Amino acid sequence: MKKLFVRIGDRISSAWRKRTPFKNCLRNKSEGIITGMEYKKWPYKLLYVGILLVLCAAVLTAVIPVLWLFLAGFKDAQDVFKAPFTFWPKSINLGKVVEVWKVVGFGKYFLNTLILVIGSVVCAVFFNGLLAYAVSIVKPCGHKVVYGLIMASYMIPAVASLVPLYANINKLGLTGYATFVPLCLLYGANSYYFMMIKNYFDTIPEALIESARIDGAGNMRIFFSMVLPLSRPIIGVVSIFAMTAAWADFLLPYLLLQDQELYTAMVVIYNLNSIMGNMSDFGIDKYLIAVAITILPQIALFAIFQRQIMGTGAKSGIKG
Amino acid sequence: MNKYKTVTAELPKVPTTFGHRLKRFLKRNWGGWAIMIPSLVLFAFFIWVPLIENISYSFYEIKRFERQSFVGFENYARVFNDPAFGKAVVNTFLYALWSIVIGFLLPLFLGLLLSETVHFKSLFRIGLYIPNIISGMAVVLMWTNILDGSNGSMINGFLSLFGAEPVTVLSNPKWVIPVIVLVMTWRGAGGTVLIYLSALQTVDSTLYEVAKLDGAGVFRRIWNVTLPSIRPTIKLLFLLQIISVFQVFYEPMVMTVGGPDNASISLMYLCYRYTFIDHDPGAGAAVGVMLAIIIGALSIVYFALNRSTKQ
Repeated sequence: MKKLFVRIGDRISSAWRKRTPFKNCLRNKSEGIITGMEYKKWPYKLLYVGILLVLCAAVLTAVIPVLWLFLAGFKDAQDVFKAPFTFWPKSINLGKVVEVWKVVGFGKYFLNTLILVIGSVVCAVFFNGLLAYAVSIVKPCGHKVVYGLIMASYMIPAVASLVPLYANINKLGLTGYATFVPLCLLYGANSYYFMMIKNYFDTIPEALIESARIDGAGNMRIFFSMVLPLSRPIIGVVSIFAMTAAWADFLLPYLLLQDQELYTAMVVIYNLNSIMGNMSDFGIDKYLIAVAITILPQIALFAIFQRQIMGTGAKSGIKG
Repeated sequence: MNKYKTVTAELPKVPTTFGHRLKRFLKRNWGGWAIMIPSLVLFAFFIWVPLIENISYSFYEIKRFERQSFVGFENYARVFNDPAFGKAVVNTFLYALWSIVIGFLLPLFLGLLLSETVHFKSLFRIGLYIPNIISGMAVVLMWTNILDGSNGSMINGFLSLFGAEPVTVLSNPKWVIPVIVLVMTWRGAGGTVLIYLSALQTVDSTLYEVAKLDGAGVFRRIWNVTLPSIRPTIKLLFLLQIISVFQVFYEPMVMTVGGPDNASISLMYLCYRYTFIDHDPGAGAAVGVMLAIIIGALSIVYFALNRSTKQ
């Protein structure tokens, strides 16, 4: 453990030493609308300071509400909305978080959400991956029709056909944890993930697949021992996307999970008032802490996979 | 001694009768189909069948989510006669308008600024992206509390810095839509900025040099070089913005319950309300069909644009 910290420290300090000095950064700027030469003049310098200030304001606007959510819960219930407004609580008592976790019973709900997340990720990768593999590499007769159908329904959200979707799933008559099955399988029919995977599969050289086929590998063999290992980056990205989406999924879990034992975290925070209704001391402060608790896993996920999430989020948005 | 052995082999004759051809066709394709079928069943069950069935549902009287009897356009007539529907249509256009003013221009502006900075660039990027990672439900619940009408809420604390009177924006019919769009923008802007950023990086910097030699100022350069260069991206994001606005749902559902007095009701929320609160799935299906048609039409435009972008 100590070694790890030392190594991280070394990393940071070496990165700091290697950085371009602040001043030269601007002077050497050769790309973009305003270039380094111009930054020697003071109106441009002023403009640059203005840009930085605007961006600082934007980042503060983005971050402060989240920070408020995390801090406001540590105030006393009657102080949360007490005028005049104060940002910082008197004290930060982490015991309160533990208390809320226990009172709401988040353990069970987080477990439910975890089941949903894992199932969704597996379905998203497996079913969309197989379909993309068939359309992009195996190309049986009629694959273009399938592709066309998926593209045709690409933009139209599943929620627009909420009534028959709900009716059909309800007709299956699932109870208990079986209710999670359609919720997970829904991620196996996602045109967006399909497109991302297909675009990646299209870049795998055909000769590679051909050589495997000559060596006598069957379709499934090629998929599992060749295509999947080759497309680890995109599988990772789709997994992360499905993970965050399943964690945030609300409408269908809310409609389909009737039993409170099965609620996911999002359904719980929406229904928190009715779940905690008979508890008079469950004030607004604990409510805010409960909401903050459900955000924590997402922030952790982002902290770990920041590069993947931000990198492909930007690129695949346009690819469509 | 004959060094070489003469091998005479005949190529197998390929039978060409219809039966054989069919057999060959199946043999070549069944593997691929077998792979596709599980996923296709899912797509059919979750997307294609509901989409078609929705149309049929909208023409039937529905009890307990079962189609009872064909009623023609009765469901549609009921929807059209409901004042809430007219309100929802007007609101949808208001949402669209405000999201063009706020939600579309702001990320473009921030993207331009961000692409120009050299200091703290990744810090800014991550900071702007943070709201994106929070689930829609948590964002909406959080903002409901920030925008609380009481004097000590964060919004009123902020306004009092400028000496403004406390406001209750969520129960003010005039302000509720712009505020909801602001919340949506708060959440979505970071992702859009990243898309603009990656588009701005592809702009040819020699163009800027040339413009500079011609004596173009900063704003001329942005107007005549930058914006035309990223026009395809701007068009796409504009359309995506409109399409996503037609799906506003969590915000009216949680923040305002469509209120005050239907001032913030959206088509999607109306569909939900008909189906699950008013227990009138027929009307819900009718709204769903209209929504699907609108979004379908918009996405056809989107794909047309996308194709012209790639060429």
